[in-house]
Amino acid sequence: MNSNKTTRVLFHILSILLVILFIFPLIWMIVSSLKPEAEVYDNMGSLQAFLPSNHISEWFGAYESVFSRFSIFRYILNSVFYAFSVTIGSIIVNSLAGYAFAVLNFRFKKLLFGLMIGLLAIPGETILITKFVVTQKLGILDTPLAVILPLMATPLYIYMFTIFFRAISTELQESAVLDGANKFQIYWKIMLPMSKPAVATVGTLSFIMSWNDYIWPLMVLTNADRYPLQVAITNINNTEPVYINQVMAILTLSTIPLILIYVFFQKYLVQGLGASGTGEK
Amino acid sequence: MNTVKQLFVRKKVPHINVKDNLTAYLFLAPSLIILGLFLFYPALMSLYYSLTDYYLLTPQLTEFIGLDNFKNLLSDPLMRKSLMNIFKFVILILPIQVGTALGLALLVNNQRKSTIIYKVAYFSPVVMSLAVISILWLYLLNPSSGLINEVLSNFGISAQPFLTSPTQAMYVIVVISAWQGAGNQMLIFLAGLQNIPSSIYEAARIDGAGRGRQFWNVTLPMLKPTSLMILTTTLIDAFKLIIQPMVMTQGGPLNSTMTPVYYIYRTGFTDRQLGFASAMTVLYGGLIIVFTVLQRKFVGGDTNE
Repeated sequence: MNSNKTTRVLFHILSILLVILFIFPLIWMIVSSLKPEAEVYDNMGSLQAFLPSNHISEWFGAYESVFSRFSIFRYILNSVFYAFSVTIGSIIVNSLAGYAFAVLNFRFKKLLFGLMIGLLAIPGETILITKFVVTQKLGILDTPLAVILPLMATPLYIYMFTIFFRAISTELQESAVLDGANKFQIYWKIMLPMSKPAVATVGTLSFIMSWNDYIWPLMVLTNADRYPLQVAITNINNTEPVYINQVMAILTLSTIPLILIYVFFQKYLVQGLGASGTGEK
Repeated sequence: MNTVKQLFVRKKVPHINVKDNLTAYLFLAPSLIILGLFLFYPALMSLYYSLTDYYLLTPQLTEFIGLDNFKNLLSDPLMRKSLMNIFKFVILILPIQVGTALGLALLVNNQRKSTIIYKVAYFSPVVMSLAVISILWLYLLNPSSGLINEVLSNFGISAQPFLTSPTQAMYVIVVISAWQGAGNQMLIFLAGLQNIPSSIYEAARIDGAGRGRQFWNVTLPMLKPTSLMILTTTLIDAFKLIIQPMVMTQGGPLNSTMTPVYYIYRTGFTDRQLGFASAMTVLYGGLIIVFTVLQRKFVGGDTNE
């Protein structure tokens, strides 16, 4: 029994060391945002580096300053708008296609499905420039549409919906047909409500993908009023004078929605990640 | 792959009428238009532009120049350098990130409830975006006032230049990327570990297998599909590295953190040499596609339905 106890103690010591290794940047980010500028540099060597300011009245000073210096509300609103549009759009657009591939019969079905699986292989990061040229030709540069539209359809999510819809029994659909339902009603009233896990997975992944999108909005937006938070933070980090506590405040703000998403939708994320094997970042 | 095959060889439909086609294509229209515009067409365009001297500001002067871009590309020192850099990154991040993830998963697996706190902590870097972690680590690694050098000085280690040193910068980016991604993969490993039936462990124990033997003869073989999937997806994700060097080092110092995707972005978008950038896209995109196809060959069938 004694050796068992030693193992447990060792286990906890090792675990806590690892916890420190993994969590200290996040903690430092948050507490530094709750300090006046000078205090951030002051106690770097001591434990005080990981404690917020001693005076509670000073905690939100950095937030007040960063909100007054930059249009943070605007950026948050932009990010929220982009992320929700992408989430809803992505659920609808991808599930519509998934329904067609799973349930309907049409010409060139095999060809289109094969083509779509093939599209999965194209590394999106490398075609950023030609994607930009298309966006330019469409005349939607510097509009929200340029940020939102490309994220709305994803071969992987279409594939996920196709697999999910195929697993739903056909009897229910057939009885709906007998009741006089058309294809769209079957999709909207039966298939989609029965696919809540798929909807939640695709929705969550889309939200995170849009919220964290950085390079694309940076490329297509020139008007700073349309920047999402991710682009705004690098802008703020490069606008003199740079105050470290204010930078940490904006980093913290842009992380909070993601913490909430992970807390509430973690179940679906693991499902989605397990099924796709790709960490959408 | 099985599910894909089922879809391909599905029962032959003898007669599809016009109305059925129309309905189906109405359902497909939004995604076909978006994928066509922002994925399929840009990919085809890259192929075409790679044979021209397209310049982003003056498309009307574009001329067809055959394989000249590719010839120049092969002798381009920065392209070579960026390829070397990304290979270095890939070779380092695979064992470091996947090994860390597996270690963490084994550590927290089958422990008491208190381990949920550990799990959350290991996962916490995942909830920060790449732009956020890049800026955060810039401050943590600041050579003169950064926290990391302060801590190192407590151990008698002199201040390190980190991101401003051509010999250190890429290693720093590897470690930060692994630190960020490991928690995610830990969760997938945990799911894999939980799928191993406990009866196999019992049988091994009855046969007298110790902890070490159980790990080598039961855990590792049973985790093989999960590990293979994680290894290949890490590999493919690693090839797309751009945000960390873009925000933290701008590819420097001395191009030591320049990656191919970042080089394509710079050549095409900043320098506006779209033809040349497209040639790089074709070359490097082709390379990633080869890895992706190989990945599908090996692990495509293991995705949970």
